Amino acid sequence: MPGWLIDFLWVVVKVTLVIAFVGVNFIFMVWLERKLSAKMQARIGPNRVGPHGSLQLIADALKLFSKEDIKPAMADPKVWALAPVVMFAPALLVFYVLPVGPNAVIGTDLNVGLLYLAAVSSFTLVGIFMAGWGSNSKYSLLGAMRAGAALMAYEIPLVLSILTVAMLAGTLSVQGIVQAQVDRGYYFVFPGIVAFIIYFICVMAELGRGPFDLVEAEHELVMGYQTEYSGMRWGIMLMAEYTNQFTAAAIAAMLFLGGWDGPFLPGWLWLVIKAYALVMVMMWVRWTLPRVRIDQLLDLSWKFLLPVSLLNLVVVAIFLV
Amino acid sequence: MSLQVVAFAVLAALILYGSYKVVASPLITHSALFLALVLVSVAGVFLMLDAVFLAVVQVLVYAGAVMAVIIFAIMLSEQREIGGDPSAQRMGFGEELRRALRSRHWGLLPAAAAALLAVLAIAGIGRLGAPAAPGAASTSVADVGRALLTDYLVPFEIASAVLLAAVIGAIVLTAREGSDARDGGRS
Repeated sequence: MPGWLIDFLWVVVKVTLVIAFVGVNFIFMVWLERKLSAKMQARIGPNRVGPHGSLQLIADALKLFSKEDIKPAMADPKVWALAPVVMFAPALLVFYVLPVGPNAVIGTDLNVGLLYLAAVSSFTLVGIFMAGWGSNSKYSLLGAMRAGAALMAYEIPLVLSILTVAMLAGTLSVQGIVQAQVDRGYYFVFPGIVAFIIYFICVMAELGRGPFDLVEAEHELVMGYQTEYSGMRWGIMLMAEYTNQFTAAAIAAMLFLGGWDGPFLPGWLWLVIKAYALVMVMMWVRWTLPRVRIDQLLDLSWKFLLPVSLLNLVVVAIFLV
Repeated sequence: MSLQVVAFAVLAALILYGSYKVVASPLITHSALFLALVLVSVAGVFLMLDAVFLAVVQVLVYAGAVMAVIIFAIMLSEQREIGGDPSAQRMGFGEELRRALRSRHWGLLPAAAAALLAVLAIAGIGRLGAPAAPGAASTSVADVGRALLTDYLVPFEIASAVLLAAVIGAIVLTAREGSDARDGGRS
């Protein structure tokens, strides 16, 4: 076999593994969220299909696959149909730079890994815009507007908090940042606690999770930009949402909690464990706090998080010099 | 090598088709989306030249930030026709081109510029050498930062002053007279 063919097949294998992980992760996370939310609200949650309702989500996925593909008559056909794909692509691209072990990165260890993560995730807005505008519905458009405002407002504190980690580690490579934490014997969550909290709030706002889910506030906007989607198209959007949630938690685990570092267990398992711990915190916050208003959402970012993250950056820089 | 040529051909075709559709689409939303396609394809060309940093910044700044502003301008605009008139969506290539040129007389100006560029490019083929071999020039972030703060300090500072002026200008233009600051612009 020629060399490039082997390379190509290796890429195919890796992409297949990532997509398989994304699918399983999606099903598991939705099940976990339903179970956790039920526990927090003194309900039982899914418990009929399989032990503890563990097969419920597989049944749900089969239902989504078999549903009729309904297309709104007044929608912009191509933009509307492409939107879920454009939203899902950045969620997958994030996996490219994730390190899963001392010398193992899923794709390549880019020396601008952090910038890559910011660039890829900023592209989600285009997909949301396509869904909101292409649906030709006022709820979709309002939801997309809110999502866009949140994405733009929280991107700046998010990048500033990531920048703090880059300064602490002295590199932009994600693997390099994890390695720096292993070499120095402490995790960046301790010097960078402020940055960690800012990062966590920002990703929750950008993902439209928790108290920030006014993007799809069901009693005023039906479902936001997802309103006009059904069946598997909606399924892909939901999968993108949960995958983003997992990768955001995984990035937080790598930047602040040492990524694959840990005793006994293999590196990738430590990464998944740390990411899931953070995912459960996100779910806990989501089912505990009431929803904020759009002006509160924007005030929090522009008037509080942005000055605090700038100040934090300066303080960290002073300590480093 | 041949794979690179194929990849470049695909990217070039995407850039050309996308740029054409940016000016020729009857719907401004489609123009914006094709612009995003062009910007990402240009990032792909940077990647082929091993300029990873440039490619990532291209996506981050243009496809991320600039597109976000354009998208907001469109969403806040008064345009009511989201779907556009159906006849416009079925326009052929010739009709699209004619409309694009006719819509403003100024449309001829970029067309002439593009034609001039094409003539120059065709005349230049063969006379210019191949682009610098990938990997020859190191493009690490540290190198870029050092170059910006030493060799190119003056242009860098001038650019930041221009950007600051643009920001202040935007605030002056958009701030409405007598609007309550505590209202947060929600009036």
